[in-house]
Formats: sequence, structure tokens, C-alpha cells
Amino acid sequence: MNIITGLINGMITSATPILLAALGGSLTYYAGIFNIAMEGMMLSGAFFGMLGSYYFHSWPMGILFAILGAILMALIFILFAVVLKMDEFITGIGLNLFSVGVTTYMLRQIFKVKGAFASPEIVPIPKIDIPWIKDIPVVGEIISGQNLIVYIALLATIVVSYLVFKTRFGLRLRAAGYNRTSLDTSGVSANRIRVWSLILCGVLCGLAGSFLSLGYVTLFSEGMSAGRGWISLAAVILVSGNPTGIALISLLFGFTDGLGLFMQRSLPSQFTSMVPYVATLVALFVYSVRLKKKQKI
Amino acid sequence: MKRKVLVNVVGVLLALLLGALVMLVQGYNPLETYYRLFEYSLAPGKIAYTLSKSVPLVLTGMSASVAFASGPINLGQPGQLLMGALFATIGGLYINLPPLLMVPLLLILAMLGGALWSGVAALLKYWFNMSEFITTLMLNMIADFFTYWAINYPFFEKNANHPQTPLIAQSGWMPEWSNFNSSVIVMVLAFGVIWFIVNRSTAGYEWRLSGQNSLFSRLGGVNTSKNYIVVMLLTGALAGLAGGLVIMAGPHRFIKGIGGNYAWDGVMIAMVANTGIILTLVFGFFFSVLQTGSLGMELITAVPRELIQVLQAVIVLIVVAGRGYFETFFAKVEARRKMRERTA
Repeated sequence: MNIITGLINGMITSATPILLAALGGSLTYYAGIFNIAMEGMMLSGAFFGMLGSYYFHSWPMGILFAILGAILMALIFILFAVVLKMDEFITGIGLNLFSVGVTTYMLRQIFKVKGAFASPEIVPIPKIDIPWIKDIPVVGEIISGQNLIVYIALLATIVVSYLVFKTRFGLRLRAAGYNRTSLDTSGVSANRIRVWSLILCGVLCGLAGSFLSLGYVTLFSEGMSAGRGWISLAAVILVSGNPTGIALISLLFGFTDGLGLFMQRSLPSQFTSMVPYVATLVALFVYSVRLKKKQKI
Repeated sequence: MKRKVLVNVVGVLLALLLGALVMLVQGYNPLETYYRLFEYSLAPGKIAYTLSKSVPLVLTGMSASVAFASGPINLGQPGQLLMGALFATIGGLYINLPPLLMVPLLLILAMLGGALWSGVAALLKYWFNMSEFITTLMLNMIADFFTYWAINYPFFEKNANHPQTPLIAQSGWMPEWSNFNSSVIVMVLAFGVIWFIVNRSTAGYEWRLSGQNSLFSRLGGVNTSKNYIVVMLLTGALAGLAGGLVIMAGPHRFIKGIGGNYAWDGVMIAMVANTGIILTLVFGFFFSVLQTGSLGMELITAVPRELIQVLQAVIVLIVVAGRGYFETFFAKVEARRKMRERTA
């Protein structure tokens, strides 16, 4: 029983940052932006989250700083891709590398360290115990006692889903991606919608980043997003942006990650660490094969 | 032509100006910092070293440039570089021939390693239509862990306290004359070959055509899927070559983290060079000037060299955005001038 709850908890933990970033990517996907900057936004969120928590000795400030840090990256993306109409792909790659550079530089400049920074002064985001439920055996261990961000991610899935499909903003968001000229001619600026989708993406990636540096572990290390932004991009593409689908795919990736840890007893850790990336390839493979079949019919 | 040069120079200067502002805010002296930076990398005795350091940057830059210009979004240079480096290392550990045979053999092995890794992505696209954009990124991470495993277990140097392989056979070391490493010669040769293929051969013409408009080139009778695979293999081989040369010119063994940031820098170089082969060479050298100089900058002025990483990304963003902006600006000026001429 312990193994199974451990596996499920591991799955939830590794799924959370991917889910949050992918939800952000979903919003920009619907707005018709080829946004590959989630990786950079997440990394920036992780750094600034750690910074906020360290200076104010408080995790809410950490989360706030994480969100602001990620929004800063989103604003740079907006400046180049929306205002200056630069190629979104180049902006995204440039921004991701900018984020790596800025966080490494600031780590060196502020904390005088290379590689990683950990300190007891960094206050982690707490785990939430839900009364009553926590006493139920097995189920209680899973539903209760998760990190606050895990519950926020769950909530975010529902909110994003509602936002995209049930609100006026969502309708305009989808219109901006589907046919921006008709949205513009109907009197709503498609660019404004795109800007908002990017800022919201920043908020979600910031939360994902705060989970990396204040939830999962309590430290910041260079490049700690480790390709999670790319995996979340793959998740968005696989389900064409659908938030519920993203949640399921993220859990699947989380599961493979947990499985990788589990396999460490029999395989070198280098191979088990590959598992989520191999799983992404397999998922893309299944997706392509299904797409091919559909096209044949 | 003049205008293009102007746009690039102005963009770089703007980025350097922004960097100077950042330094000013933090209380450093930007003029002295830049002087130390360029002095360290461009002084007469240093320029050969800077050139040698530009080899992996230019090679991965050309890999990305050729790929982007021909259509495939090959972002797998980091993984291909590592695989190339690993292949060259393995060759150097088990084979020992006279240098005249050994060096070319290891270079070919390195190219094979890179091409193998990009070939995986190419086949996934060819057979299953999986976008190389994501697959190459995932393969990067896999190559990272795979090479890390390789230097931890099968090719691990006993008694080393850091994951690394033993030294490769000395016959496989790139000859060095004081600061000038002969890997530069390989780079120049590769540059010549690539320039010729892209600008003077039918294949290169077809690639560029497919990069501009894949449908048009296919309707015109170009075998786009064959070209796709060839371009992927070639660009993988270039990145692999970069990896092999990093080993053969540098520490002569595979150490953890040997790939560094070369490949991503190469991707940035391709972008800032607008996938032009000659500009890739120029910016590759320029990035090397910044990176080499950053050492001197840190030594003398206490500005952390990580600043250069930021500066590089800023240069890319500003030059690329500026290029688009200036082009519309010049087009407007031109149009206005013509209008005036006609009305006069």
C-alpha cells in the first residue's frame, strides 16, 4: 500500500508544474500564439519565487514574486512578439535563453554562488491538511496533505476550462486564434486579447516556477526547469489545448516520472531520468499515428 | 548590402548600450568593463585563442542556420554535439593510428555520432510525421542523460573523483601552435564546404527554396522528403563535428558538462545571423569574443562573466527585432522618396 500511495503522490508532485505551465500554454494556444517561452517563464518564476521567499521570510511573498518574475518574461515576449511583431519562435527561444542568463547572473550577483542556492531562510510553500479527510486511510494520504500549489493547479484547471469555454473573454480568446481579422473587425482588438493571454500564461508559469523552487525542493539551481516547459508544450499540442486533456496528459507524464524513480532500484538513475522525455516521444508517436489514421478515413 | 551591415552593427551597439546601462545601475564602470572585455579577447596575442574558441560556436551555428534556412526546425544541436563528442571519445579510447589517419577518423566518427542522433529525429518525422521541433528537444535531454551514463559506467576513468573518461590517444589530439588550435582549420574547411553547397549547388538551391516555400518547391519537382533527411543528417553531422572538436582540441576526454552552452549559443547565432552562412561565421566569432573576453572582464573589473549570457540573448532579441523594424522603416523612406520623384 505504501508503494502505491508513494507512486501516486510522486505522480501528483511531478505533474503539477507541467500542468500549470501547460494551462498557460493552452491559453496562448487558443489565442493563436506559438508560445514556446513557458520554459523561460517557469525558470524565472522559480528564481524570483525563491528570492521573494528569502527576503521576506514568507511564502506568500515567494508566490507573488514568482508570478511577477514570470510576468516580467511575458511582458518582454509581448514587447517583441506583439508590439514589434518579431517572429514568435525566435522571440521564444531568445527569451528562454535570456531567462537562463538572467537567473544565472542574478544568482551569482545577489547570492555570490554558482550552480545552486539553498538556505534555511527560504520559506517553503506549506502542505495543506484537510480536516476529516486526512484521517481516512490511503485516500486521505493522497487527497490531503498535498502542497498548496497542487490544489491551486487543480483549481486552475477548472478555472481555465471555464474561462476558455464559458466566458466572453474565452470566446474572444478563441476567436483571436481562429480568425483574428474577424475579431478585429468586430471591434475587439485581437492584440489586446493576445496580450492578456500571455500575461495569464505568465501567472500560471510563475505558479509552476514557485512550485519548483519552494514546493518540490527548497532551493534554486541553474536551469532547474529542466525541459518541463517543453514537455508542457508537447502536452498542449497533443490535446490541441483542451484544459481537461492537459490535466490527464500531465498526470500521465507525472506517472512516468514517478515510475522512473521507482525503477531506480534496478536501473542506473541516468536511464530512469530519461523516462519523462521518452514518454513525451511515445505520446507524440501515438498522436501522430492516430492523426494519420484519421486522415486516411 | 550596406544597409544589412548597418542594421546588424546598430543592433549590436544598442544591445551593448543596454548592457552598459545595467552595469551603470550596479555601480560598475561600463567603459572600462568593455575595454577589458575586448582587450582580453582581441589583443594580438589573444586573437588566435579567441578564434579557437569560436569553433564549436560557428559549427553549431552553421548547423542551425542550414537547418532553419532549409525548413527543418532542428533544435537538437545540444544532443547531437554530445553524441558527436562521445563517438569521438570512444574512437580515441580504443583506436590508435598515426595522427594523419587518426584525426580524420575521429572527425568522421564525431560527424557520424551527430548524424545518428539527428537521423533518429529525421526518421521519426519521415515514418510517423512527428514534428522534429519537439522530438529533437526531447532527444537533447535523452542524449544528456545517455552520455552522462556512458562516462559514469562503461567509459568511466577509475580513480577519478568526477565523472569523466580517460584521455583519448594522443594521436587524436588536434595539433596546437601556441594559442592557435588546428580545429580552426577544420572549421574553415567546413565553412567553405557548407557555403559552396548552400550557395553554389543545386541541392543548396533546392533546400533554400523548400525553406522559403515547401509547397512551391514540391510542385516544382523537388524531392522535399529526401532533402529533409539529407539536411537533418548534414546539420546533425555539423553539430557532431563541433562536439568531436571540443574533445580533440580541449580536455582530450569527455568530462561531465563538456557540451556547455555551445549548442544553444549556436542556435542564437543562427537566429541573429538570419540563417546567413557568412553572418553565422561573423557572429560566431563575435560571440566567442564576448565569451573569451568575459574571463578577463571578471578577473579585472569584478563584473560576473554570466552577464555575457544575458548580453547574448539581448543582442539576439534586439538585432532580430531591429532588422524587421528597420526594414519597414527603410521601405517607407524609399516609397516616400519615389513618390516625391514622381510628383516632381
